[in-house]
Amino acid sequence: MKVCLESEQMSVILEAKDLSKVYGEVNAVNHVSLAVKEGALFGLLGPNGSGKTTMIKMLTGQVRPTSGSATVLGLDVEKDPVGVRAQVGIIPEQETPPSFLTAREYLDFVGAVRKIPDIGEKADWWFDFLEFGDKKNVLCKDLSRGTRQKLMFAQAFVHEPALALIDEPLINFDPIMQDVVKDYLAEYAKKGKTIFISTHILEVAEEICSEFAILHKGNLLHTGPVADLTARDEHLSSFFLSLVRKDRHA
Amino acid sequence: MLDLFKNMVKEEWRMHSTMFGSLSFAMFPVMIFGIAFMSSFLLPLLRTSMPAGNIALMTHASFLMLGFMVGAFGLLGNEVMNRRFGQASLLAYSARSLPLSGQFIFSNFVVKDLIYYFFLWVFPFGLGYILASPFIGVPLAGALLLLLTLTLSFLSGLCVVFFLSTVYARSRALLWLLVLLLGAGCGTIVAVTGTNPALFFPPLLLYLSFSYPLFLLTCAALAILFAVSVALFDPQETEKTREVKNSFAPLLAKFSFLPNPPLAAKDMIDLYRSGSVVGQTLFSFIIPLAVIWFFLSLLGPYLPPHGLLFMFAIVAGVIASTMYTWVTMFDNFGPYACLPVAVSTLISGKVTTFSLLQIVPAVFIAAVAVLTGEAANLVPAVVLCLAISFYAAGVMVWLTGLSPNVLVYDVKVLVIYLALVGLALTIFTGIAFASPLFAIASLVLLVPAWLFIRKAKVKWDAVDPAGF
Repeated sequence: MKVCLESEQMSVILEAKDLSKVYGEVNAVNHVSLAVKEGALFGLLGPNGSGKTTMIKMLTGQVRPTSGSATVLGLDVEKDPVGVRAQVGIIPEQETPPSFLTAREYLDFVGAVRKIPDIGEKADWWFDFLEFGDKKNVLCKDLSRGTRQKLMFAQAFVHEPALALIDEPLINFDPIMQDVVKDYLAEYAKKGKTIFISTHILEVAEEICSEFAILHKGNLLHTGPVADLTARDEHLSSFFLSLVRKDRHA
Repeated sequence: MLDLFKNMVKEEWRMHSTMFGSLSFAMFPVMIFGIAFMSSFLLPLLRTSMPAGNIALMTHASFLMLGFMVGAFGLLGNEVMNRRFGQASLLAYSARSLPLSGQFIFSNFVVKDLIYYFFLWVFPFGLGYILASPFIGVPLAGALLLLLTLTLSFLSGLCVVFFLSTVYARSRALLWLLVLLLGAGCGTIVAVTGTNPALFFPPLLLYLSFSYPLFLLTCAALAILFAVSVALFDPQETEKTREVKNSFAPLLAKFSFLPNPPLAAKDMIDLYRSGSVVGQTLFSFIIPLAVIWFFLSLLGPYLPPHGLLFMFAIVAGVIASTMYTWVTMFDNFGPYACLPVAVSTLISGKVTTFSLLQIVPAVFIAAVAVLTGEAANLVPAVVLCLAISFYAAGVMVWLTGLSPNVLVYDVKVLVIYLALVGLALTIFTGIAFASPLFAIASLVLLVPAWLFIRKAKVKWDAVDPAGF
């Protein structure tokens, strides 16, 4: 199943073709094809264990697909995973910054690895924007989960990537910071950059995503614009639940 | 109360069997048993060239080392477990969620380590010897006594490391004072009695001449060390929030001549701030080597002239190669997966940091050469030590990539490692014994070391980076 979204004039920035990942006897992702166009705020939705994280890992070259292929920004993720990671920003769901670097040092480290000029100024902007400048000299191991998430968010966007892939973007943020981040993501997409988020928090997806796909037990159940649901006066959560429940009983 | 202990044992087993597969991990004690059983048949041969007491001494020294290693690994701390195993959460770090004191959990953790590793290493070794004993003319009582005294050796290493590391966590000055006192004590024994202090190692004394008073005294000493360690253990120590000045930028500038300067700078900060560079140098390098020196020096009469220094350089080289585990212990690939860093680049970075750390064994062997009046052999001894270290590390990198700690119990990997490193050790021990200057020929080992690392990069780039 494959549906191209947004207007045909915009170029496809991320494309998965028949992508599968098998871990032992588990089909984590099962022949999924999808395409995301430039400027989209794309939400990959699914219950726990549906294959969302594996999908992001494959799209960023962190794990190899068992079969199928994917291109990100025109690069084959299997052939050039480092090239892909150089171009995109990634926030993994469970990863935390290195324990013995301070927040400031971690952004300096990311800047040095990514060869970002004036990383100092950019880092300062992020400390101010996400309101954690008072923690910049604290070792990452001593930061709260929320502050670590802020830092991971900053490292993913500090080089202003054309595409950012975020696994559960708001999970550790307080309501105020969630609002700040949602606004930032929406503005970022308006600038023509693309955001690919994976989440099981449907309210967030409905609020900020322009397009979405639903994954269940590794299978792609649906993909389409959020606007289609709005036009039918249907909420994403009810649509999602009916689709997933139907698939469970299938 | 027993529940915590039982679950910790289950957890340890599941952690290992998840990493290596149940069968592969279960084969590990079988392999130890097989090695002990088969090598027991070499004893009659060895006895023709070396007194039985010295063979016993080496075996006890090995189990003392094993205790040191297990103790050091047990105390790597929550941070290392988190970094290595991602989201793995262990019962040892559950004092905040369980209605149990940190001390109680720590005691269970130590006893679990003790029993678990006893059945993993000590018992299979002893059993191999016990079953072989009827065929090699060793009385059963002697074989059983060896199992007991090896257990005490293992316990000694474990308890000493637990004790020293809890002291270290409280006061570094006190630790240094203790180490100095220990060194001075050994020096005094040598000066006053003219006897090697290793000969006063209680488990060895018990093996050579068993007596109940000494046995009880040894057990009491170990129990006291354990009790003091538990009393000194402070789980709150790690809870302090640390704010530090930026060291990354200056280090990055200093390391600009190296390949992958950001990775080297990060590794150095990890080692320094985690206390590893001091703690590991002390617990995993200097103390084990100091103990080995005392034991090895007893073999002096059976070695060729200058043989002791070169034998020591080789052992130091093998131990120095484990510094690769120091630089990988705080990382899995996870934190780098969101950056444009390939596994091969990370391996290069770790090898660079490992190379920087080799200054420690180089200085150490140079100091030993000077202090033992063998300054003339300083250069070949240092070259031999470093060449062995790089070679063994190269093999380790090829076999285990970024996970040398977690793969050590994979029987297949361990057998290949032992065969490849054992071969090089045998050849270069012979060469160095033939003439000290020939030891410089060990530089040739850098070629296979380089090839192993090159192959490792290709091999590990082709595999999905392992998480937990």
